[in-house]
Amino acid sequence: MSLWKNFNQGILKENPVLRLMIGLCPVLAVSNSAINALGMSAAVAFVLTCSNLVVAAIRRIVPDEIRIPIFIIIISTFVTISDYVMQAFTPDLYKALGVFVPLIVVNCIILGRAEAFAYRNPVLNSVLDGLGMSLGFTVALVSIGVIREVLGAGSVFGITLFNPAAAATIMILPPGAFITIGFLMAFLNKLENKVQ
Amino acid sequence: MGKIAKLAMILTVFCVIASGSLAFVYLFTQPKIETNAEKSFEMSLREVLPVAEIFKAAKCSEGEAYIGIKGDKTVGLAVSVAPRGYSGAIKMLVGINADGKVIGVKVLDQRETPGLGANVVKRSFLAQFCGKTVKDEIEPKKDIDAITGATISSRAVARGVKEALKTAKECK
Repeated sequence: MSLWKNFNQGILKENPVLRLMIGLCPVLAVSNSAINALGMSAAVAFVLTCSNLVVAAIRRIVPDEIRIPIFIIIISTFVTISDYVMQAFTPDLYKALGVFVPLIVVNCIILGRAEAFAYRNPVLNSVLDGLGMSLGFTVALVSIGVIREVLGAGSVFGITLFNPAAAATIMILPPGAFITIGFLMAFLNKLENKVQ
Repeated sequence: MGKIAKLAMILTVFCVIASGSLAFVYLFTQPKIETNAEKSFEMSLREVLPVAEIFKAAKCSEGEAYIGIKGDKTVGLAVSVAPRGYSGAIKMLVGINADGKVIGVKVLDQRETPGLGANVVKRSFLAQFCGKTVKDEIEPKKDIDAITGATISSRAVARGVKEALKTAKECK
């Protein structure tokens, strides 16, 4: 039951983007198309799950005073690994995401989960927390990406739905990201009020 | 003092493990990354100068270009230019045939605004430059239709094509 909860809470109840409102920088920047959103989510999921795993595994031998530098070393190592791997195997996606892959290092979801969860919990729970949070991040980012791509470019995952000339370009520009996130947050709040 | 030394040691151990694993991944992925870059550059060369069979680096007094060769004849030049766009350089390749006519333009790398300036990569925009020579004006609103809402980016690409035509005259 508790394990399920570790996994579950990141998806809706504590969704990093739409409830905790952390890690918004890449969300705003790369959610202009569904495929970019999916690629970014995959990279974040890899880094978050691996760093949660390692942080939980070494939490007893890490002295309290230097835990943050050690977290940063672990996170940046995994970010660089995903950076190399994407560059080697998915060059097109790597080009589209650009500087936001290295910037995963400073994504506060990852350091936040290392500090708030993985440092205090066993390995299995931490991995599940990482997977759940990643799934929450993916759900948020891909829904924002799909909404923006459809409204702003008239396509979804690169497949044209209607004439792009009829699309509202503002939706794939930065203001479109704020507008979409705002509406999604409002929708989620409304949903929660109803449940209660 | 003893405590500080101990902390430093632990941190060092972590750094060594981290750099070791990165070195391993680097060794494993680097060759693939390099062949990817080479392949995609050669594909771009072929795209702007489809008549050529092989490409050789050209000697230019200014700029960078590649000579396209078919059999033992020079069939054109692919000139690499990077005009300043709205946000940073727009890296592009311009294919110019032996008569000095532009036959293909491709944007390799750009950071223009998505949805506006980034549309300069579109074929419909770049196709307008085909057939232009050094004698043409090549300027948006004159002989080129600019992209709506992206005058600066359109102008930059036009400037790049012009520059490429100038460079091409001084290449061997």
